[in-house]
Amino acid sequence: MENMANTVARIPNLVDWSTGEIRLMSAKCNSCGTYFFPREHYQHRPGCSREGVEDVLLPSKGKLASYTIQHYPCPPPFKTEKKITPYGIGLVEFEEEKIQVAGIITDTDLEALELGMEMETTTLAMYSNEEKQQVVTWAFKAAK
Amino acid sequence: MTMRDVYIIGTGIHPWMGFSEQVFADFAAVAVEGALKDAAIEWQKIQSIMAGIFIYGGNAGHLSGQYLESIFGETGIPVVNVYNACATGSAAIRMAFNSVVAGETDTALAFGADVSPKGFLTAKSDNAVQDRDVIRWKMGGMPNPIYWALECTKRMAKYDTTEEDLALVKVLMSEYGSKNPEARFKKAYSLEEVLNSVYVCEPLRLFEICPVSTGAAALIMTADEELISKADNPVKINATTMGSAIYGDPTIRISALSCPSVAEAPMLSESYSASRQAYEKSGIGPEDIDVLELPDNSSWHYLVYLETCGFCGEGEADKMLRDGETRIDGRLAVNPSGGFSSHGEALSAQAIWQVIECANQLRGRCGERQVDGAKVAMAQTYGLMGNSGTTILTV
Repeated sequence: MENMANTVARIPNLVDWSTGEIRLMSAKCNSCGTYFFPREHYQHRPGCSREGVEDVLLPSKGKLASYTIQHYPCPPPFKTEKKITPYGIGLVEFEEEKIQVAGIITDTDLEALELGMEMETTTLAMYSNEEKQQVVTWAFKAAK
Repeated sequence: MTMRDVYIIGTGIHPWMGFSEQVFADFAAVAVEGALKDAAIEWQKIQSIMAGIFIYGGNAGHLSGQYLESIFGETGIPVVNVYNACATGSAAIRMAFNSVVAGETDTALAFGADVSPKGFLTAKSDNAVQDRDVIRWKMGGMPNPIYWALECTKRMAKYDTTEEDLALVKVLMSEYGSKNPEARFKKAYSLEEVLNSVYVCEPLRLFEICPVSTGAAALIMTADEELISKADNPVKINATTMGSAIYGDPTIRISALSCPSVAEAPMLSESYSASRQAYEKSGIGPEDIDVLELPDNSSWHYLVYLETCGFCGEGEADKMLRDGETRIDGRLAVNPSGGFSSHGEALSAQAIWQVIECANQLRGRCGERQVDGAKVAMAQTYGLMGNSGTTILTV
């Protein structure tokens, strides 16, 4: 994992790197078995008691279930110091958790994207803030 | 219990256009004036107003019904302001219909008016906690068309949808848009022109995604038998429904950052739900529909909605399109208006405009785009975050 000192996610409670791996912050409902991302965006099975929801981390690796290449910059409030357009957006599937998560694809040859390829969770540096911290978002890259 | 028969007796629009400095309520007034004239009734005959809100208009926009009522003259009648994303117009129609059917009122007005924002659509607030839509803007880099592109990529891997199919949708829509004097975009495109246009988010190209527009639409419906008998070719509302998403829907829904990987419900489940409710309530099925106005926000929508609403089996929409089955003279006339593709989307007016296009077909008002012998029409909407409505009309 890259040096994550002095790094902060733009919005909290989405991506974690405290375990030594970069992993998405999810929650699992132990009553209906559904995983949520973001973890507060509950989507329980109808009739679920909604009891036993616990915070979990998704695995660091998943499979690419879909992707697109975006050719126009995303308008504010999105911002990056370095130009990233054209950029990829992927849907990465975590099989056991039965969830697909969307995120920017970084550090990967966009021409070489293939459905089913293994992807690894990472972060994308967006900009430096007033406190001179590196502000990041979650992203995916081709797994080594 | 026998339900009252409810008929549309008057419709009006302000033609779709680009950004304007004019107040949204002025556009609404044009549409409402048109509906009153078409129905040949005076303002005081309106007994309730169901208004799509204007989300960029702050407090006044959220109270669009009161704003409009004061223009024509306040009469103390029930006024409700509704918002269901791009299905807002569906909600306004349904509220008006239910008001009349339940006997709360005899004659109701449904309207919506939108002024497109200058520049790109983006987050509606700065609060990522209260407004969870903010996350996909601030961190995800995910404007609306990305969601459609992700689904389109999945579709192309699963079925034989090609880039030519996506382009063909635009070609057909523009052919009808060129014949529609009210369309905002009247240029007829060739396949080469569409395929040569730039990608916005692959595989979707610039001409395969509809822009946003300014526009307004209004319709008046009634159960008053005298007004119905005096109306010009009134159109019966057989059903008007709203659907929400169903747990287990595998679609990556606009604003969401995740979706289930195992489908336990149909794709676009909110639209599946709205359409099935409409078929059940009206006793009319997809095989009975002569004219369909579906929400072609992109070429992907055109194809998937034919399947979602049961007009063909899964994966068969491309063939329907290629074989000419969705042409005006085909087995199912799809978007003879020219679609969103030729108009752009005016959020709170759009669903009402779709119903008006259907009503115009049933009333024989469509000139070059007229579907011969049209007797049964359906309008279907698509709204982000799980919103949808279906209206079925007959003459």
